Amino acid sequence: MNHKTNAQGASPEQNYLCEAVPPLTIATVMEEASRCLLCIDAPCSRDCPAGTDPGSFIRSIRFKNFKGAAETIRKNNILGGICARVCPYEKLCEEACSRTGIDRPIQIGRIQRFATDYEKATGFKALEPPKQDKGKVAVIGSGPAGLSCAAGLAMLGYGVTIFEEKSYAGGVLMSGIVPSRLPKYVVEEEIKYVTDLGVVIKLNTKVGKDITLDALRKDGYKAFFLAPGNQAPQKVSVPGIDLQGVTTAVDFLVNAKPSGGKIKVGKSVVVIGGGDVAMDCATTAKLLGAEKVSVLYRRTRAEMPAYREEVDYVEDLNILFYYGFAPEEFVGSNGQVTAVKGKGFYDDSTIMLPADQVIVAVGQKPAPDLSAAAPGVKLTEKNFVVADEDKDCKTSVADIFSGGDIVNGGKTVVQAVAAGKVAAEQIDAFIRQGGK
Amino acid sequence: MAKHADLSIDFLGFHCENPFFLSSSPVSATYEMCAKFLETGGGGVVFKTVGTYIPDECSPRFDHVRKETLPFVGFKNMEQISDHPYEENLEFIRKLKKDFPNKCLIVSIMGMNEEDWERLARDVTEAGADILECNYSCPQMTHEGMGSDVGASEELITKFTKATLRGTNLPVMLKMTPNIEKMEVPAKAAIRAGGHAIAAINTIKAITGLDLDTYCGLPVVNGKSSISGYSGKAAKPIALRFICNMKQDPELKDVPVSGIGGIETWEDCAEFLALGCTNLQFTTSVMQYGYRVVEDMISGLSLYLAEKGFDKLEDFVGIALKNMIPADHLDRDFKVYPQIDLDTCVGCGRCYISCFDGAHQAIEWDAEKRQPKIDEDKCVGCQLCLHVCPVPHCITPGKVVFKPQDQFGKGSEAVYKEDSPNKREIIVGTYEQ
Repeated sequence: MNHKTNAQGASPEQNYLCEAVPPLTIATVMEEASRCLLCIDAPCSRDCPAGTDPGSFIRSIRFKNFKGAAETIRKNNILGGICARVCPYEKLCEEACSRTGIDRPIQIGRIQRFATDYEKATGFKALEPPKQDKGKVAVIGSGPAGLSCAAGLAMLGYGVTIFEEKSYAGGVLMSGIVPSRLPKYVVEEEIKYVTDLGVVIKLNTKVGKDITLDALRKDGYKAFFLAPGNQAPQKVSVPGIDLQGVTTAVDFLVNAKPSGGKIKVGKSVVVIGGGDVAMDCATTAKLLGAEKVSVLYRRTRAEMPAYREEVDYVEDLNILFYYGFAPEEFVGSNGQVTAVKGKGFYDDSTIMLPADQVIVAVGQKPAPDLSAAAPGVKLTEKNFVVADEDKDCKTSVADIFSGGDIVNGGKTVVQAVAAGKVAAEQIDAFIRQGGK
Repeated sequence: MAKHADLSIDFLGFHCENPFFLSSSPVSATYEMCAKFLETGGGGVVFKTVGTYIPDECSPRFDHVRKETLPFVGFKNMEQISDHPYEENLEFIRKLKKDFPNKCLIVSIMGMNEEDWERLARDVTEAGADILECNYSCPQMTHEGMGSDVGASEELITKFTKATLRGTNLPVMLKMTPNIEKMEVPAKAAIRAGGHAIAAINTIKAITGLDLDTYCGLPVVNGKSSISGYSGKAAKPIALRFICNMKQDPELKDVPVSGIGGIETWEDCAEFLALGCTNLQFTTSVMQYGYRVVEDMISGLSLYLAEKGFDKLEDFVGIALKNMIPADHLDRDFKVYPQIDLDTCVGCGRCYISCFDGAHQAIEWDAEKRQPKIDEDKCVGCQLCLHVCPVPHCITPGKVVFKPQDQFGKGSEAVYKEDSPNKREIIVGTYEQ
């Protein structure tokens, strides 16, 4: 994939805010769609967790039906424009693509992005909300799972309110994914897409603190979708963790995108971890002006879970990767971190990386006050909600459904969208059966 | 360096270094344009139609047909004959002949009446033309009695050909319109009136498409549009059939033909030559890519002919004519099954879809394995599957089977057998994929 070179003379914030992958034009999207073999069984569609159906929308593009393509995407995946940018295609639809048998897969993500961009540019609205008179449903959390469930329920005729504890909506889409991959405006537009369907988002409202489920039940809410995501950082137990300059991915990223890049970044930054969030931290630090950024990962590149294309992008930013090292100590002076000491994961090697900022990005976990938000919901040992999000999203409490990272431990945006769709169908069935 | 065949060939008494000419069109409108093409390697030019009538052109004046992402599949042009002053055109012709004495200079002319045709013929002959081309076929003329109306009228063709011949002693070529059923009829009128050669085809009357916002044909000229001439690759099959019909006509078979219609590559050139043309003209490919297209025509055709063992171009001319026969004469005693190479098959199912929806439901689809299989009882050997398969050389012509002898020509349901008494060698296509 070609990444756009950042503009010369642009400020760090401008580069940080600029989308790295350029869009396809009408001519290039037709070229790409014409490469599609239009398979009888569309393995790409089979392998999309959210059922976005690339087999259909690529065929629509091929026959010059751009609006029809946008309609297919929106109908199946309300966050189509977001997924077009953040999906790990290489592991999903593009891996399944039959064209791989001839040369290389169709660039499905970029085609999907064209269709949703086209929808926006032409002012076309693929979805018209129906009359919402079937009752009220509350969604807890405005991340991808919550937005997907809310949109699905709105399209089924429910009045949906999303309760969001933060001052902005979008969850991980806003607080987690670097704008060069997923610009803020795209998230805002897709959130508006959902609110245009009649969904209400109440910000700064923490369920369990500002309002309770029981109060909502009394107020007539017939069911709940619990999708707060994993908001608490996983910690590493390493000496020096409390030094100044040592932070977590959650804390580092939480205000980066919402503020347009106005956060404090060190000169020499070390990121600990090898997932997509670690890549987002490294990119954010580098684009916002860090002189040197390194990534320390304990296993090999092949084992690193981050999306391969994203790793390429990070490397293109002259960010250094050190594989096979786990952090042993954060070294400091006068309470301020000065270096990361690493030890070999496979042998006895050691490494010492000077750093004035260390970002620990080794995963996230549910917030400790989850039980206060949803009393009675059965949790796993690690505090995740017990539910089968592929099947029905049902929890141990009849009117509470759950999905997304809080159930699956932290997967992809498209997986969260899929869970939201399942939950919307199941909540509809639950309410139609009289709420039992 | 690889062996290249000699591409020089005689056309109407002029020994041309190769048969590649610009056709009379926007690409051959001035001295400078023709000179650049000749310097690039062209064997000659047909200078853009000269007339005493000076047209008033519209803007815009072109459109093109796109298939998926491929532009210029077909091209539409609304431009008429030269809009340069008459004297200026004559000066261009004088200078071209003076500066390129060894290149063949054909000048296209179009008169408004007999006197006009005679005068034009005399003036361009004096200016230095080697051959004249009478334009009987421009489909977008705005003046009555000019353009493709002439090419459809034996009476006008006869009258204007005779008038032209009164003004010149040069060979005269007549450029024909395809907007008729049989080109042999006007072509014979032209030759009987004294003409020496046929140029075919001029452009096809067409509407390339509509602008769906203004509900107007393309190009949109202040909210309106007109039918005009269509050319380019999409026109080639139509040109080839008209030329084949004329070259197979007993009265016309020895009349030299300059082939025109969608010529872009050396392969296109070879096709027109194989059907009997001794001269070739092109415009659309030049409008899209420039005069340099001729460089690969020269290189590609001379390499091809050398590889096929032809020393001279004229030995190749008309070589395919004997292989174009009426449909009722085709050998219908056999069928060629397609064969599918499952090692290269990517399992897309396109052959299955097309066979079911567009042919004879003769491919079985194993959804589990994602594999097609030919049902030989149902397969008629149409080979649609081969044409739709996106994988090169995955589906190719395979086993040949014959009808038994006693069923020849009876129209009954044939039973094909590999060991029929009628078994013999069958020539199948090579199908470039």
